[in-house]
Amino acid sequence: MLAVENLRVVYHDVISVLNGISISLEKGELLVIIGANGAGKTTLLRTVAGMIDFYDGEIIEGDITLDGLSIKGVDTVGIMKHHGLTYVMEDRPVFWYLTIDENLRAAAFSGRGRNVKADMEKAYQYFPPLRGLAKKKAGYASGGEQQMLAIAMALMTQPGILLLDEPSLGLAPLITEGLFAIIKRLNESGISVMLVEQNASAALEIGSRGYVMELGRIVLEGKASELAANKDVREFYLGSGEKARRSYRDAKRYKRRKRWL
Amino acid sequence: MPEVQADSEGAVSTLNLKQSCGQLMTDLLQALGSGILVGLVYSLLGLCIVIVYKASEAFNFAVGEFMVTGSFLFYIFFFDLQFPFLIALPLGLAAAAAAGAVIETLTIRPLIGRSPIAMTIITLGLAFFIRACLQLIFGSHSYSFFLELPDISIDAGELLFLSDPLWAGIMALLTFFIVMFFLFRTKWGLAIRATSENQAKAMAFGINAKMILLVVWAASSACIAVAGIMISNFGALSTMSSIVGLRAIPVVLIGGMDSIGGALAGGIIVGICESLVGTYIEPLGFTGFKEVAPYILLLIVVLIRPYGLFGTVRIERV
Amino acid sequence: MNRKLLVGLSLILSIAFLALTPVSAKDIKVLSQFPMSGPVGALPEFGWGYIDGMNWVNGEGGGVNGKKITWFLEDFRYDPTVEVANFNKYCAELSRDEFILATGYITGGLKPLADKVNKEEKIPWLDGSYSTEIFGAEGGPSKYPYYYSLGATYGDQLKILMKWIKDNHKAKGKPKVGMVYSPTAWGKDGLPESLAYARKIGLEVVAQIEYPYSATDATNECMQLRKAKAQYVIYHGYSGASGCTAIFFKTAKKVIKNVQLMGTHYTTNRMSILVCQEAYDGYIGVATRPFLDAVPRAKTSMENPIVKLAHEFARKYRPEEYKRGVKDKDSIKDMFLYLEGLTYAFMIQKVLTDADNSGNLSREGVKKALDNLVWDYKGMFGGKKFSYKSHTIPMMQIFKADVKMVKMGETMVPTGAVNPITDWINSDEIKW
Repeated sequence: MLAVENLRVVYHDVISVLNGISISLEKGELLVIIGANGAGKTTLLRTVAGMIDFYDGEIIEGDITLDGLSIKGVDTVGIMKHHGLTYVMEDRPVFWYLTIDENLRAAAFSGRGRNVKADMEKAYQYFPPLRGLAKKKAGYASGGEQQMLAIAMALMTQPGILLLDEPSLGLAPLITEGLFAIIKRLNESGISVMLVEQNASAALEIGSRGYVMELGRIVLEGKASELAANKDVREFYLGSGEKARRSYRDAKRYKRRKRWL
Repeated sequence: MPEVQADSEGAVSTLNLKQSCGQLMTDLLQALGSGILVGLVYSLLGLCIVIVYKASEAFNFAVGEFMVTGSFLFYIFFFDLQFPFLIALPLGLAAAAAAGAVIETLTIRPLIGRSPIAMTIITLGLAFFIRACLQLIFGSHSYSFFLELPDISIDAGELLFLSDPLWAGIMALLTFFIVMFFLFRTKWGLAIRATSENQAKAMAFGINAKMILLVVWAASSACIAVAGIMISNFGALSTMSSIVGLRAIPVVLIGGMDSIGGALAGGIIVGICESLVGTYIEPLGFTGFKEVAPYILLLIVVLIRPYGLFGTVRIERV
Repeated sequence: MNRKLLVGLSLILSIAFLALTPVSAKDIKVLSQFPMSGPVGALPEFGWGYIDGMNWVNGEGGGVNGKKITWFLEDFRYDPTVEVANFNKYCAELSRDEFILATGYITGGLKPLADKVNKEEKIPWLDGSYSTEIFGAEGGPSKYPYYYSLGATYGDQLKILMKWIKDNHKAKGKPKVGMVYSPTAWGKDGLPESLAYARKIGLEVVAQIEYPYSATDATNECMQLRKAKAQYVIYHGYSGASGCTAIFFKTAKKVIKNVQLMGTHYTTNRMSILVCQEAYDGYIGVATRPFLDAVPRAKTSMENPIVKLAHEFARKYRPEEYKRGVKDKDSIKDMFLYLEGLTYAFMIQKVLTDADNSGNLSREGVKKALDNLVWDYKGMFGGKKFSYKSHTIPMMQIFKADVKMVKMGETMVPTGAVNPITDWINSDEIKW
């Protein structure tokens, strides 16, 4: 349903971040994108969500289509409102100085959800710990609570597609586990999810399909289980390579990439 | 001054002492009262800077020029077209809001996502540009500006509060609370507060940051116009009136750049400071000290509390 | 031999020719500068009056005994530096024989030019400044022999107001006077002299208040005056058109109801009526020119010949600008400004003609003509003549404002005028 074709994105007219990337997200899928820092994962999500202008980036080639319709050039609010695609930015994008209650209401601003009260109730059902904190300023909530809130806020927009940018960042493993379980549940409830993660093992566990990104390109694609079993993926992203690297030179990624391509 | 005389004579009768004490009290009350009334208008100016600062992180240096623009727009409806006050006021404010929206679209919108410094500098340029435009259109002579609001002067012998400053205080306070209500009790207000915190986050959750910024600038422009109209009503309106806008700078810096309550407190503090200095210090020979006093106060406040008296201490999570 | 003779002859001839030509083709050149734009706003009326006046002088007016005046007009944008630079430029470009008279308009320019004009160039300089510092007791002809003011000093203006208070005070006890002045060189000008005079004639100065242009509120100032029990307030160093004046008058009308408000030249004019409206009613002020522009203009009294002349000139040469309202662009907002331009033109013609008649059309000749001038200024002072021995035109008149609000459509608009309550007073004739 969502397709990115040969996308090239440049920041500030000079820094090329996505160098011809093509991915697709099928309906009801939980897609996982893994990659190291600087691979362009966040840029990919920003571009899909229509926020690239805001960061002074530009699509110089390629197209993004949703159900066959190009959404290139449509702004974030338009994509969210008319195409039901919601982007949860990295680093827990909640409004620190608003209470948790207000955060949820603010997220309902676009008016996609007809009944704000009912939607809030639904969000609290997914994330029961938030209910007790309703009157607390989000800035004082814990990292896990903030991440829950961020996803709860995304739910307030009644998304068909959810883009999640590293929800596990800075969270304890136990909390990450709980969070991923909820993401899985959301996916099962019918929301297509595109999950970008550095915590590859946890992500691949819940995902149905995955891509590996490096330096703005897709270097590997496959079922989540296949990727999790891949030797290179295991070595670089799952941290469980068979033997210790012999030298730094061997770790240079471009050598490996050649083989993958 | 009576109290000085009483001091120098040394042996004063109790009656005299009582009288001079009463005199001192009325003097003080007078100074405080006038200070608060003018201060409320400064608060409103401060509020307009604060909401714009919160929404776009830009300091609107063109506040004085916005004020004069709004006042002139009202002037056209009320004095030139001679609409009744209750029709001319909303029309004038709507026109001021529209002017604010147009200015935002042309100058601030292209800079969304860039450094707030760029926007701040733009407002500095705007100040000169708008002033020049106003001078071109309206000339630089004064326009008489008498609203003829019902006389509500309080004249109790030594204590006197004139109708115009009272009206100014009332209108400023009223506008202040309307803005507060809008910000804290409505959906749009919530969206504005969210956007103020982070434009990118707001956009990601479907809040059109551009639209919000437009609304904020328009609302701020309309509120500045209220302050402008009330200040013009003290005497006259001319392009030179824009200098009053500069008073808003110590107001917001004392109160805290991002605090709405701070704007209210800051305005009253600056108003009282000016008034007290005018009553007690200037007669000692420090003429013109009134103009400087708020800045000295500002310096002291900023040295002790860099965020201003009520500025948000950033939520730091460790 | 022949060749030598020829060379010698041609040399002599050419020298003679060179020496002769300037005399026969000598021009009369005059430089005038007015603040027609700048921070105070657009005041093109100065220029219009001056241009119309000089064109008339060179045409119908008959020039200087038939000779035309070459005049230069500069806008110095209310900036003394520009005024000085313009003057220097013309001094460098024009010859001393031809450039024999210059005019300026503000005190700010007189100070930096003092040495250049009075010691180096020695060129007569007419100015619109009423500065007591330059034209009063401390300056004057001995210190600045080439400076001439086209009005009476602020010191004289303040003193004449005090004299009026003294002469007209009816209540018991010493008259109590409050002074309100702007914290500028203008506001402080003439103050020490007039305060000394007040003491001498037995006025009690109960308050001295500096009230800034940027004021938004005058309650404090008025309360101070009320507490000091002032009976007269002299408001000095402000333009009638500025906002702070309106604020002060409006507040004073309420806070100090029974106090007589008074003021100097620039508050005694049409703009005060328009800006302060009813609050201006009853004001008593001194002016150095006849009041020539009632609100509405059609009601102006045309008894004074120069007032009539100014209106005729404006109607004839600037019909559009004369008709337009105050709020329109390019309108004559206040006839005073237009008259100022005209008075310069008339004065230039008068003194140049006098100098020519005495056969000395040079800088020194013009200075002599000015020093010996006794003139009624085309009837400006009700037929009275003045002499220029103090280098000021020592004529003043005291006026009282009469403003009424009348209904025009839905709103009330001010109408009225500033009417003389004394005859023209020559300060040279008063024993201060």
